[in-house]
Amino acid sequence: MPPLQLMLEGDADVVVTRQFKAPPENVYRAHLEPELICQWMASWPGWTMPVCETDSREGGAFRFEFDGGEEGAFTTTGEYITLTPSSLIVHVERMHMPDPAPDSHCHTTFEASETGTLLTLRMSLPDAETRQGMMDMGIADGMELSYSKLDEIAS
Amino acid sequence: MKLTNGDEGVMELAAPFDMSQPAISRHIKVLEAAGLVTRHRQGTHRMCRLAPDALGEIEPWLDIIADRYRSNYNRLDAVLETMKPSHQGDD
Repeated sequence: MPPLQLMLEGDADVVVTRQFKAPPENVYRAHLEPELICQWMASWPGWTMPVCETDSREGGAFRFEFDGGEEGAFTTTGEYITLTPSSLIVHVERMHMPDPAPDSHCHTTFEASETGTLLTLRMSLPDAETRQGMMDMGIADGMELSYSKLDEIAS
Repeated sequence: MKLTNGDEGVMELAAPFDMSQPAISRHIKVLEAAGLVTRHRQGTHRMCRLAPDALGEIEPWLDIIADRYRSNYNRLDAVLETMKPSHQGDD
């Protein structure tokens, strides 16, 4: 699998690309069905998703709660704007710190490729003040700690 | 935002604006005093550069995003392995 690619466009948009072996319909479903999402989106060891709810219709809302025990907890909510099966998810989301941060706009495409699926995620970065707030509340530290653990487990 | 592409000479920065070079230099001095740009000489040219932290520390944020999605998608690979090759017609 080619590694994940991340590019900065302008000073506010990030584009992430990643290849998957599975076909687009499965990668798409894994982004919308709670029982699948909760298995992969809480990416840090020791973190869980006690709440993972999606109303996967255009205009429908979702709510993801992440719990990292001593490392903290946070909630992300959002709404789906465009859902094209096996092909496109456009949504807005925001983190609650606990007050809601400004919305991030996310545009995810799923394209059939030689190896399976090319996923392209284009999202707007939160503004500098919001980023600083997220770092100040320790999310960055918590993640760094988690990745150190992951290194230990993986090595 | 011209400086996000890298170093720029003072004359190049001034080009799009209807301002004299001394006026542009005064503006750059204000930006320098505010910690937004740094200045240095390259041969006979005076160059400007965005100060590293001027845009609210984007680099560490990008690292966090890349790490998060790398980790997420590695787990997603494992989830996808457990799904049938195609669910069309299932259920």
